[in-house]
Amino acid sequence: MREKILYLLGLAAFVILARDIYLIARLPPEAAQGYAFKIIFFHVPSWVGAGASVATALVASVLFLITKNFIFDAAAVASTEVGVAFLSAGMVTGSLWARPIWGIWWTWDERLTTTLVLWLLYVGYLMLRHAIEEPTQRATFAAVVSIFAFIGVPIDYFSIRWWRTQHPSPVFFSSTGSFPSDWGAIMGWNILAYLLLAAVFVAVRLEQEQAQRELDSLRRLAHSF
Amino acid sequence: MHWTLLLAQVSAGDIAREIARLQRNFEFLGYGFWAAWLVLIIFVLTMVSRERRLKREIASLKAMLEDRQNILEDGQKK
Repeated sequence: MREKILYLLGLAAFVILARDIYLIARLPPEAAQGYAFKIIFFHVPSWVGAGASVATALVASVLFLITKNFIFDAAAVASTEVGVAFLSAGMVTGSLWARPIWGIWWTWDERLTTTLVLWLLYVGYLMLRHAIEEPTQRATFAAVVSIFAFIGVPIDYFSIRWWRTQHPSPVFFSSTGSFPSDWGAIMGWNILAYLLLAAVFVAVRLEQEQAQRELDSLRRLAHSF
Repeated sequence: MHWTLLLAQVSAGDIAREIARLQRNFEFLGYGFWAAWLVLIIFVLTMVSRERRLKREIASLKAMLEDRQNILEDGQKK
């Protein structure tokens, strides 16, 4: 039953994304930036997916420290991995947009730098987990790192409001930006599709983490024979 | 009237440059779409390979433990 729901959610996300690609292709080029502007339809949803995933990791890490229940540790690592995948997608699509618009792949402005720091923090979290063998110690240290890493999320989000950056000013939830309503609707559907994908990925990874725990306990049992 | 004035100021080179800019722009849009999908596809493939490895290792460990259990039980019977 659980698997069927996951397949259905994944299928729904795929259908929405396929439909959106068709709609995006039919949109006219943006007046100033041309076709490259349309990358925003995948760039922003990647960040929303990443934000939702690392926020889940934060909640799971706090809950682990309170309850010491390993299911929360598994949820934290599952959602962090998904978050890193979406962060990577956001950074790559951003760079591919920057090249034709700015003429450069990368610049050390506040938004891009804080994003890279955030990505490094979460990759560091995943590396830390490989470095510690004892499960309780690993889960506790990882939870603390995850909570500290999340401090970077609001700094990254507000960087384009706090500082004058080369990165464009905020388009959404801002008085300075504007986005046509029909374009906004496609963006909304794409964000929904990415959130569905993130939820499916986290659920699948969570099952794998539980399978990994089963494998670890079987190994211990094999050693005790 | 405005259009004729504008057209009078545009050279063939300007038009060629604008077409080249739009084509290049379109090319990067394609790269962006592919990159967004590629990252997700790589992540899915990683999950699939991990799933297979986990299932294989769990199955082989369970089989090994059953064998050891059977050997122990046989030894106790003898």
